[in-house]
Amino acid sequence: MKRIFKERDRLLRRAVQAAGLTGSATAFACALVPGGLEANARFWSIVLILIMAAAQYLLGSTGALRWAVVIVLSGASIILVVGFASHVGVPANLIEESVIGMVATAPMCAVAAVLITSPRRVLFLLASFLFTLMCVAVVNAPDRLVLVVLTVSIWFSFTVASWWIAQSVPRVMHRIAAIGRAHRAERHASELEAQRRQDARLLHDTVLATLTLLAHSGVGVNPVALQKQAGDDARLLRQLRLGGQPIPRRSGDYSLQPTTAPTLGDTLDAVRQRFERMGLSVNWHGSGQVQLPNNVLTSFLLALSECLENVRRHSGVNRADVTITDDNTTVRAMVTDTGVGFDLGQVGSEKLGVAESIIARLRDVGGNARLFSSPGAGTTVVLEVPK
Amino acid sequence: MSPFSDTAPIPTHPRARAVSSRLLGGSTERSWPEASAEERNRAELLPLRFPRTILRGDGRITVFRSDQNGLGARHLGIGMSISGLCLALFLFVRLLLQVDPTHLPILSIAAWIILLATAVIVNLAVHKLGSRLPLWLFLLALCVCAVVVAMDLAGTWGVAGAAPFATAAPAVGAFLLSIVTLRETGEITLATAALGLSMATVTGLQIREDALTLGPDILSISLAVAPPLIGASIVQAFRRMVQRELDLVLVQSTVSQPRFAVGMLASERLARLDLDAETLLDDVAQGRTGLPLSASTAATAASLATALRLHLIEGRTETWLHHAINESEFLGPVVDLNDPAGLAGLLSPHQRDGLLLMIWLLVGDTARAGASLTLKLGPIIASHGAEALRTLRFPIELTTTGVTRRRVDPETWQAIRDVGPHVDSNPAGSLRVDIECSVDNPADA
Repeated sequence: MKRIFKERDRLLRRAVQAAGLTGSATAFACALVPGGLEANARFWSIVLILIMAAAQYLLGSTGALRWAVVIVLSGASIILVVGFASHVGVPANLIEESVIGMVATAPMCAVAAVLITSPRRVLFLLASFLFTLMCVAVVNAPDRLVLVVLTVSIWFSFTVASWWIAQSVPRVMHRIAAIGRAHRAERHASELEAQRRQDARLLHDTVLATLTLLAHSGVGVNPVALQKQAGDDARLLRQLRLGGQPIPRRSGDYSLQPTTAPTLGDTLDAVRQRFERMGLSVNWHGSGQVQLPNNVLTSFLLALSECLENVRRHSGVNRADVTITDDNTTVRAMVTDTGVGFDLGQVGSEKLGVAESIIARLRDVGGNARLFSSPGAGTTVVLEVPK
Repeated sequence: MSPFSDTAPIPTHPRARAVSSRLLGGSTERSWPEASAEERNRAELLPLRFPRTILRGDGRITVFRSDQNGLGARHLGIGMSISGLCLALFLFVRLLLQVDPTHLPILSIAAWIILLATAVIVNLAVHKLGSRLPLWLFLLALCVCAVVVAMDLAGTWGVAGAAPFATAAPAVGAFLLSIVTLRETGEITLATAALGLSMATVTGLQIREDALTLGPDILSISLAVAPPLIGASIVQAFRRMVQRELDLVLVQSTVSQPRFAVGMLASERLARLDLDAETLLDDVAQGRTGLPLSASTAATAASLATALRLHLIEGRTETWLHHAINESEFLGPVVDLNDPAGLAGLLSPHQRDGLLLMIWLLVGDTARAGASLTLKLGPIIASHGAEALRTLRFPIELTTTGVTRRRVDPETWQAIRDVGPHVDSNPAGSLRVDIECSVDNPADA
C-alpha cells in the first residue's frame, strides 16, 4: 500500500513540475514584452517568477508543503505588484492583464496536484484558490471578468485532472497485482511443465536415439523401420505435448516400467502419512483396493495431494475428510473440509490457476474435478478418474 | 465493468490460432522446416495457457504491448477528457463574451461546430473500438483539426487588438488533451507543436500597431499548447510507472520458487525443442522428408539432438534470483550476480522479497544515471556450536557504481533490513552495502 501512494505522489509531483514550470516560463516571456510593465514592477515580477519557478521545482522533487506556500505567496505578490505597482492610477494594459492571467493559472494552480491527497490539504488548496481569486478580482483590469473566469476554469480543470490521476494509480496498481498473481501461477505451471518434460526420460532416450540415426542421414538403417520408429516417436512427443506422460512400449530399455500396477490403497496411505507429518490429519473413508492404470493413478494422486495442500494452506482447519468410492467405470474421491471456504465468484486468479492445474491434470487422463464452496461453509472437491 | 476485464485473455496472432488448432487435433499440419525455431513464441507453444505474457526474442518476459498502453489508461483518459472539457468551456465562454451581435464571426462558429462534432465522433469511435484510437482515425482527426485551426484563425484575422481572439484554435489543444492517453506521447507532442507553431506564425504575421497586443496572443498560444504538453508528460510518466510495476510483479513471481528452478526460459526452450523434434520426426514418418536425409536436415537433426540432450541433463542449478534478474527488462542489463553456491535459494520468502525489492529500488531510482549493481553472495561463514547446526550464515556484498547514498529511497533501507543486519559505506562516492544473512540450515529442515 505504501508503494502505491509513493508512486502516486511521485506522479503528482511530476504534474506540479510540468504545469508549474510551463506556466512560469510563459509568464516570464510575457513579462519581458517591451513597454508592457513599468521598469521597477518588471524587475520585481521577474525576480518573483524566478522564486516561484524554483519553488515549483523543489515542490516537485520533495513534495514539502512549504514550497506550495512559497508558490502561492510569490504568485499572489506578482499579481499585486503587476496590478498596483505598475503604471499606478491607470487601468491595467493588455500585457499586465496577460501576466496576471498567466500567473494566476498554471504556475499557481500547480500546487493543487500535491494538495488533493488529504482533507487538510484540500482545505489549504481551497484557501489558496480563494486567495488567488481575490487577488485577481481586486486588480483594476478592463477584462476582469475574463480573468476571473480563466482563473476559475484552469484551477478547476487542473484540480480535476490531478484528482483523477490520484485515483488512477491505485486502480492500475491493483490490476498489476492481479497480473502478478496470474503470472505466478503461470510460472508455477511452467516449472511443473519443465519437470514433466524432464521426467519423460525414457521417451527422450528413444527420441535422441532416433535423432542420432537421422543425424547420420539415416544411412545404414532400413528406411521403412526408421520411418516407423520416427512416426512412433513423433506420436509420443505429441502425447507429451498434449499433457500426457507417455511411456515407450518397444525396445529392451523399457523394462524399467513397473509390470504390475500399484494399487490405490498403498499409495493413498503414503499421501496420508505425508500430510500427517505436515500437520493435516486426513480421515479416509471408503474402499481400499482399487486398481488404476499407472498414468491415471499418478494424475489422481497429484490432484488429490494438490487438494489436500490447498486445505492445509487456506482452509484454516487441520483436518480433512477424503471419501473414496468406485463403480464399474469411475473412481471418485471427495475431499471435504470444514474450513473458511470461499466465494466461487470472487475466487482470485492464483487460486483459479491451482484449480486449473487440478482439472487439467485429471482431464488429461479422461477425468474431471468439481469444486463446491461458499464463505464460512467449508470446501468440497470431487475428483473423478476413469478405471 | 468486471474487475478482470482488462486481464481477460486477448487473442494472439493468427498463426498461433492455426497451431493451436493443430495442437487440439486439427488437420493443418506444418512441414519442416518452414518456420525456424526462433520464430515460434510462447503463445504458439502453449496456446492454452494464460496468454498475458510472452517471451520476447531476447528471452525477457514482457507483457503484450497493447495491454501495456491500455492498462489503466482508460480511466486516466476520462480524467483528461473532463479536464479538456473545462478548458474548452472557458474558451467557449470567451467566444460568447466577445461576440458582437451585429457582426457574427461565422467562420469561428463553424470551426467550433466542426471541432465539437469531431470530438464527439472520435469519442464514440474510441468507445466502439475498445478504447483504441487507430492511426487512420487519429490522422483524420488531426486533418479536421487543421481545418478548424485554419478557419478560426482566418475568422479572427485582422488588426491585432481590434479583431476578436481565436477560441476554436486553442480548443484544439483541449481536444488533444482528451486523446492524450490513446496515442504515443511523441505523436501528441508533435501535433501540439504544429498547433502552437501555426498559431505563433499567424500571431507574427498580423499587423500590429501596439506591441502590448502580444500579451493576449501569448496567453492564447499557451492555453492551446500547455495543457496537451503537460498531459503528455504526465501520461508518459504514468506509462513508465505501469511498465516498471509490471516488470516488478512479473519478476516477483520468482520469489516463491524452490531453491533451484529451471525458470520459464528453460521450460520454454525444452518445449520448443520437443516440438521441433516432433515436427522433424513426423516429417520423416510421413515421407515428407525423404530418406536418406539431405546434409542440411541431418545437420539440423544433429544440433537438435545435442540441444535436447543438454537441456535434459541440465539440472536445476540456477536460483530464483538469477531468473529474476535475467527475466527482468530493467534489472537484466545493470545487475551482475555472483552466487556460485546458489545461496540465494536458501533465503526465506521474506528475505527474498526484501532482497529483490532492494535491488529494484536501487536500480529504479537511479535508472537514468547509468548505475550498475554487483551482488556477491557467500561464502558461508564457518561457525561452531549448536547454533551452527540450525542456521547458516553468509554475507551478501552489494557494490554499486553511480548510486549516491543521498538518493537512496528510505524504503530501500527497510527492504535491506528485511534481508538481515547490514553495514553501509560510501567508497568512491557510490553506495556499498554488506549484509549478513542467516538462514535455516537446509540440512536441518
